[in-house]
Amino acid sequence: MTLRALIARLAPFLACLGLLAVWQVAALVLNNDSFPTALDSIRAIPSILGDKESLVNILASLRRMAVGFAVAVVVSIPLGLIMGRSRGVASFFNPLLMVIYPVPKAALMPIIMLWLGVGDLSKTLVIFLGVSLPVIYHSFEGAKAVEEKMLWSGAAMGLSALERLIRVVLPAALPDILTGCRTGLVLALITMVTSEMIARQSGAGNILFNALDMGQYDTVYAMIIIVGAMGICLDAAFERMRERLVRWSEPQFDIPLSFS
Amino acid sequence: MKGRGIASDVLLGLAPIMLLLVIWQGAVSFGFAPATLLPPPGLVFMRMARQLVTTSFDQEILSTLFRLFAGFSIAVVLGVAIGLAAAVSPSINAAVRPIVRVLAPLPKVALYPALLLLLGFGHESKITLVAADALFPILLSTYYGASTVEQKLIWSAMAAGTPRRGILFKVILPAAAPSILTGCRIGLVISCIVVFLAEMITSTDGLGHVLITAARTFQAVDMFVPLITISLLGLILNGLLQAARSYLLRGFPEV
Repeated sequence: MTLRALIARLAPFLACLGLLAVWQVAALVLNNDSFPTALDSIRAIPSILGDKESLVNILASLRRMAVGFAVAVVVSIPLGLIMGRSRGVASFFNPLLMVIYPVPKAALMPIIMLWLGVGDLSKTLVIFLGVSLPVIYHSFEGAKAVEEKMLWSGAAMGLSALERLIRVVLPAALPDILTGCRTGLVLALITMVTSEMIARQSGAGNILFNALDMGQYDTVYAMIIIVGAMGICLDAAFERMRERLVRWSEPQFDIPLSFS
Repeated sequence: MKGRGIASDVLLGLAPIMLLLVIWQGAVSFGFAPATLLPPPGLVFMRMARQLVTTSFDQEILSTLFRLFAGFSIAVVLGVAIGLAAAVSPSINAAVRPIVRVLAPLPKVALYPALLLLLGFGHESKITLVAADALFPILLSTYYGASTVEQKLIWSAMAAGTPRRGILFKVILPAAAPSILTGCRIGLVISCIVVFLAEMITSTDGLGHVLITAARTFQAVDMFVPLITISLLGLILNGLLQAARSYLLRGFPEV
């Protein structure tokens, strides 16, 4: 492996280190009580992860997120694909989705809490709502852009409508669907944190905002690092899976433009 | 013929919204949900119509809109500039790419406590949060759009003697415009969501604050009003962006 490839490989880690270094310097310069240095915050992480209760809380958050995300993906992909292939279905659902899209899903939390209580169900439902819209949207766009000729060929070879949807439209739209899932993953994390911030009963968001209210700034920043690391790790894992699934589709945008 | 097709599409699209309202009304009138938990839609819309003409509610809408636009504009300017720079310059690309890979999947809401502690409880922290959240979709789609510009177009411009700066603004920027506008659309929706959330977390004004005050006092009617308002705002802003898009992209083959 050449030095260049090694640097390219380590670039995200270097970026992390660089950001932490900037933080450290900024904190030392500002010298503010409510802005601890990066090292202090990192030192507070083991005490959070070592505490059994917080660990259980964080794992519960992750479980809710996984359930909400999985259900949303399973429901949204078929809906998006069907919308992309049938104009009637698309014009049936599109306005409704457009009305729902700008509503912050976590803002529904107070209302859903009134109906379903503060338990797992309402939080998972909110995560489900947050994830499903981008996945539907991207599946819809992907399915709409499938080449008609491929569908005609499929039909000529005697595939039924359902078989065409699964064997032609689904693979062709897969890159778009996975883009939607990736957006959904980030949104799931955001919704998870905010829903727990509002319900204030358990979970990572609860620890974060309770620490803020009690002025435990080390814990606040340590939780920010933990949640951020979760986001980065999940995204990296998803990216690896995506690369494997859509290796055939050429990633055009990795080639930088040249003026020569 | 085409006009009729569009009209029936609109009717078809209104059907689920109507259905939702009917189910909502039905659930209340047949006693499936007590009116304290789910107020009838008529009551909510009446309340909303009455609220919209009061100056105090308009004030809340204005402060929400101000934060939304301030954050969104910062995100557009930064996102387009960084995205273009990363697409045309390999060295900037090498620096920006890993930072974006680390920062883009970070849930920015988790940064909000830090922003609060650093920037205070006023406009600044909320605007920063909105800008941080809207930045990445715009940046990524600008980068994507600019780096998929056909190389032949650039070569032709160079052959015609266009200077480098001219190529950037006359060839790459217009060619990337559809992609940039798609990114802006996603960024706008995210801005709507985030500004509301930030106001829910800590604020003394704005639509999110209206919701959270209503939730604390169990005023179910008042909880629905800001939610419907933000949904309408999102629709209107989306419509405006769509109009701007079809104006900016007139002459493009397919929009």
